[in-house]
Amino acid sequence: MADVKKLAEQLKKLNELRGPVPVELRDYVAAQNKAQKAILDALKDGPKTPQEIAAAAGLPHDKTIWYIAGLRKYGRLADVPAKGDWPKYELKNSEAK
Amino acid sequence: MSDMEKIEVDALVVGSGIAGLQSALDMADQGLSVVIVEKRPSIGGKMISLSKVFPTLDCASCITTPRMASVSHHPRITTLTYSTVDAIKRENGVFTAAVTRKPRYIDEKECISCKRCEDVCPVYLPDEYEEGMGAKKAITIPFTNAIPQLPVMDPEHCIRCGACARACPKDCIDFLQQPAPVEIKAKAVILATGYETTPMTAKKQYGMAKLPNVISPMAAERLLAPHGPYGRVLRPSDGMVPGSIAYVQCAGSRDKSIGVPYCSRVCCMYAIKQAILLSGSLPIADITIYYMDIRAFGKGYEQFYNNARAMGINFVKAKVARITEDEKHNPILRIERQEGSSAPEEVKHELVVLSQGLRPGDDVSRYGLGAELNDFGFVKLSDETVSSAVTAGAGVFAAGVSKGPRDIPDSVVDAGSAAMEAISYIRKL
Repeated sequence: MADVKKLAEQLKKLNELRGPVPVELRDYVAAQNKAQKAILDALKDGPKTPQEIAAAAGLPHDKTIWYIAGLRKYGRLADVPAKGDWPKYELKNSEAK
Repeated sequence: MSDMEKIEVDALVVGSGIAGLQSALDMADQGLSVVIVEKRPSIGGKMISLSKVFPTLDCASCITTPRMASVSHHPRITTLTYSTVDAIKRENGVFTAAVTRKPRYIDEKECISCKRCEDVCPVYLPDEYEEGMGAKKAITIPFTNAIPQLPVMDPEHCIRCGACARACPKDCIDFLQQPAPVEIKAKAVILATGYETTPMTAKKQYGMAKLPNVISPMAAERLLAPHGPYGRVLRPSDGMVPGSIAYVQCAGSRDKSIGVPYCSRVCCMYAIKQAILLSGSLPIADITIYYMDIRAFGKGYEQFYNNARAMGINFVKAKVARITEDEKHNPILRIERQEGSSAPEEVKHELVVLSQGLRPGDDVSRYGLGAELNDFGFVKLSDETVSSAVTAGAGVFAAGVSKGPRDIPDSVVDAGSAAMEAISYIRKL
């Protein structure tokens, strides 16, 4: 694990070199956190299709499928076997708790 | 400058796609010392991101990964990834290359590839390896079978929360890492700089990359790959399983209006391959290929094409004039058939792939090595009837698509040719 003092010094020096983290980047990450939480909340009552997730989370369809791909890659969502035109996703066990 | 890394070898290979890997292996197996410089964070080039290859439908990574592993473990091959060749000069028969190792912001020697930094990073970004359809983190190992298995941090998108550094069990994160210069001395150079596809914006009539369900063939490869962004074939606008898919051939080749008048040689075959794979993944989907003429030139290719026809893939001889979309982002193709009725008509599909052409991956004339370029920016051979690798520059050889569009078998064969020419040249010095 990182030496806390060394890490603080590095981050301080980085801020001096590059200036503060841009507000746009902070806003981008905040919006991501909000969108991901909305998607995970939408799945708490069972598996859903991307369309249903987008409607429940209040997100555009293209953003929803992009977040689903990311959350799936990092082990927070899982595929559910489904027939028809739409796949279904559910929370991984660790997220469902 | 005393701590500048210096490497002295027999041959320098620029690029680590299938041609670069093969030529490096062939030279090293003959006893030469080789250094490969690759601009991306992993070796493997474009081939490692393909799903399968034509006409055998072998898994692309099953062919590429063993070569990648052989290169990385070969005692006579040094690989510099995430590094750029800034200049090469030739003096007294020796090439001196100035290379910059870009910072990954980690200690490469200490990293154990545990991915804990990636797991805890809170910033999601479009993953270029997945053609933007998937997500990666601001610190990420580029893909599952990347070599080396080392993460790269994107400093522009790092929010400096320090989570990666706190999670790292080896204390590898170095936020202040700087680019490192490397000097390479070599007796011969093999240019294996590969290709880029013509941009999605090349033809303004085809949506200028703004139609979400009009995708590139590399994106289609990722959709078909077992570990692709969605784990299955879905369309990027909404995650629906597409029931009707179209390929638009010559969308980036044989077109003077976009500066690519030549045939890119591989587009017909990769479209047919993807159509066959799609018909396996989506058995009830309608798949249509709009083409000018099918160029199935290699061994077994005509049979492959006939198999696709027999499997029910629709081949429509037509030129696509324009692509628009409806309110559900279904692409609408305005086509003019070349057989039967030639009246323009509009056809709706749910996903469209533009068969982009190939253009040079790098402008190697900037190195001033004497290797001339042809009218389209590919490396020109000094006499194609005598050798498939010798350029006008002494000690400079070309392999793979750097010489012009060609398929994987041809790239592998002439990578061997480039290696043999380089070995012969070095032994005469």
